[in-house]
Amino acid sequence: MATIRTRPERTRSRTRSRGTRSGGSWTATTLTGVGLLVLLAIHMVANHFVVRSVGGLRSYRQIIEYISDPIIFAIEAIFLLFVTSHAMLGVRGVLLDLDPSPRARRWIDIGLVTLGLGTLAYGYFLIGTLASRA
Amino acid sequence: MSDRRSERPPGFERRGERGPVLRKGVGVPTSGWFDPRGKALGGFAFSANRVTGLGLVFYLYLHLGVLTLLLRGEGAWSDFLRLATSWTFLSLDVLLVLGILYHGLNGIRVALVGSGIVADRQRALWWSLGVFGTIVLVVAALHIFGSK
Repeated sequence: MATIRTRPERTRSRTRSRGTRSGGSWTATTLTGVGLLVLLAIHMVANHFVVRSVGGLRSYRQIIEYISDPIIFAIEAIFLLFVTSHAMLGVRGVLLDLDPSPRARRWIDIGLVTLGLGTLAYGYFLIGTLASRA
Repeated sequence: MSDRRSERPPGFERRGERGPVLRKGVGVPTSGWFDPRGKALGGFAFSANRVTGLGLVFYLYLHLGVLTLLLRGEGAWSDFLRLATSWTFLSLDVLLVLGILYHGLNGIRVALVGSGIVADRQRALWWSLGVFGTIVLVVAALHIFGSK
């Protein structure tokens, strides 16, 4: 079978430690993506296609009422988890395609985990605060 | 009698070494994805998927920033709504729907092809999901602009 050399040859140690997207990462991206298809559809329809207003946007009172519903709150919380995980895995895939060194790869992972946790913390604080105002 | 070493094919001594990774699968594997010029449909689809993905990550943080206005109270949110219901912002909403539809539907295609479920139908999937996405986009745009 003919093959095409797609990247420069490397030494053994470099080849072993090269930063690429692993099968586990691909699976995680795909699973969170499948979950997002459902959750994002609910989020978009609920926030843009239900309320009769310009752009389907909710007023402040309507948002407080909406997010204080326990089922909606749970759906939005899971949606935030899925969208953040998917986003961080996607950014990681883009960055790892730049073929960073093992040290840089470690920093990328640490940075994205920190950013993801920060995003989740702020998002949960936001929807929790709004739900408590009902 | 000739030397036995001279009968070996070129590069024989290096056959045991680990070579570069030869990747198969959907999309462009390494650098250059951001330049779709001269690439086949798969390369264009991969580039567009990454561009829309990065755009959606940017929008995620923009969205969280905008929602912070809710913490300030009803007045701040009402001021934002006046801005968000302008034609410009509604057009950006349609652009957002386009990005979501492309990234989501292409993601379905990549998942189906990459997992081997329909490994030999990626072009057909791209076009059929493209038609479906276009219809949904038109309906969404009519709904968004029609509400003005």
